[in-house]
Amino acid sequence: MNPKLKRSLWAWLALSPFVVIILFPFAVMLFTALKPAEEVFSFPTRWLPVQWRWQNFIDMWHGANFGPALKNSVIVSMASTALTLAASVPAAYAMARFPFRGRSHYRQFLLVTQMLSPILLVLGLFKMAANISWDGANLVDSHFGVIVAYAAFNIAFAVWMLSSYFATIPRDLEEAAWLEGCGQGRAALRVFLPLATPAIAVSFIFTFINAWNEFAVVYTLIRSPENKTLTVQIVDMVAGQYTVEWQLVMAATLCATIPVAVLFAWLQRFLVGGLALGSVK
Amino acid sequence: MTSARKPWLLIAPSLALALFIIGYPVFHMAYQSLHEISRFGVVRGFAGLGNFTGIFIDPVFHATLLRTLIWTVAVVGGSLLISMPLALILNQDFHGRSLARTIIMLPWAVSLTMTAIVWRWAFNDEFGMVNLSLQALGVIDKPVQWLASAALAFPAEILVGIMVSMPFTVTLLLGGLSSVPQDIYEAARMEGATAWQQFRLLTVPSLRPFINMAVVLNVIYVFNSFPIIWVMTQGGPSNSTHILVTYLYELGFRLGRPGQAAAISLIMLAILLAFTWLYIRMQPKEEAA
Repeated sequence: MNPKLKRSLWAWLALSPFVVIILFPFAVMLFTALKPAEEVFSFPTRWLPVQWRWQNFIDMWHGANFGPALKNSVIVSMASTALTLAASVPAAYAMARFPFRGRSHYRQFLLVTQMLSPILLVLGLFKMAANISWDGANLVDSHFGVIVAYAAFNIAFAVWMLSSYFATIPRDLEEAAWLEGCGQGRAALRVFLPLATPAIAVSFIFTFINAWNEFAVVYTLIRSPENKTLTVQIVDMVAGQYTVEWQLVMAATLCATIPVAVLFAWLQRFLVGGLALGSVK
Repeated sequence: MTSARKPWLLIAPSLALALFIIGYPVFHMAYQSLHEISRFGVVRGFAGLGNFTGIFIDPVFHATLLRTLIWTVAVVGGSLLISMPLALILNQDFHGRSLARTIIMLPWAVSLTMTAIVWRWAFNDEFGMVNLSLQALGVIDKPVQWLASAALAFPAEILVGIMVSMPFTVTLLLGGLSSVPQDIYEAARMEGATAWQQFRLLTVPSLRPFINMAVVLNVIYVFNSFPIIWVMTQGGPSNSTHILVTYLYELGFRLGRPGQAAAISLIMLAILLAFTWLYIRMQPKEEAA
């Protein structure tokens, strides 16, 4: 047997228990989502549905108020990601290009902000939202408060990833532009930014996924059902209910999970380099 | 514009935003923790250290503090222990490697909340697929009450915690492995080093900064991890699965004791700061930039 084939067999054999455990929840979601209610709660329990019920996805769409929740998730994630990047790109550029005094302090500050998770500050955040008047009321139950909070908590991760990519973009091209009489700011916009676009796109998507998946802040700050995002909306289907309609809940988690999982699967290779470099350098 | 000021102007927006969103809540929680506050948020008066002493005589807090320690050590240690061999395998050249990497990274893409919901259903004692599968495999002969029993719910949550922390750890270690120069291995083989010696004497030392980083970031994330426990058991049955974050949420938003919840937040903050300070002290000195 050739060595690579042998190695492949061993590798997959060693990975197989992990693959089974990782794919297990996906199988649970899929097969529960496709069962009629009476099969979900019947003995003996079976893995596969006897009767495949695709109608669950339509019932879930209405039952979970899926459409409006999806829209809220998109709005909150998009806006907070845009705000995160608007603040992080210049900062990452400074980190990658200028050996300024206080740079290591700024780095430590980022580590500290990474450390203070939203849940730790959630009481204070709630109070803060309640004290800031906004739109005739206050920031509790407003998307704006959630957006700003997410942006602040995502800055560390974004600066981290961006600056490690930015450092790999050669400085010479910008310097050549300066010699041609281009100002430093213009050179950054005209020469550096186009080269940095792929890195910014990758950071955009990762920040977006972080915001999309966040739970504690939106769970605390958003009160009315019409303002809830997908995550909280689905948790509401299982929390404090006497009977949980698991087939609809699993249909909803599947629909909320698959698009993000596909996006992530496609992008994960960018993480290996960027994250590791950013965290150690 | 002088060049000394320019970088500060560039980082100013990010600094201002983060300082504001973090500074105000920290300040406010410090204030709350020192005052007596009604369940509706009305300040009744100065409490001194009353909230802190209230916490320190609360037996649930003691059990929760200890459980948080167990949770953090078990999840971080467990994920590091399984991530190391996984990263070594995924760093090999074999057929289907990119598929294998994608599968191993997958739990990262799913939100913790969704993961917790799915496992809560999978661990259902009557109709859940964990019991179904284990019975089919002959591991157990009658359904187990996973989340309804204090002895099983917390270990089950630890396993879920390990599974969701593993992809990030593998990613960091893979990044580290790809930065190890390959020629040192050839030299070692020429000297007759065994595979184990190569791993212990070459791989582990070159990975050390990456392992350190994985431990630090995982400790921070796991210590603060809210959705898994909150969605799976809400700290129950009878407070047996609370960790500090879920307990503070319950105190603050369910039991109407915001002052004590703020006190727990500050205690957690102090623990994390001490941990980070220790980490920064242990780092080799950075160049004087």
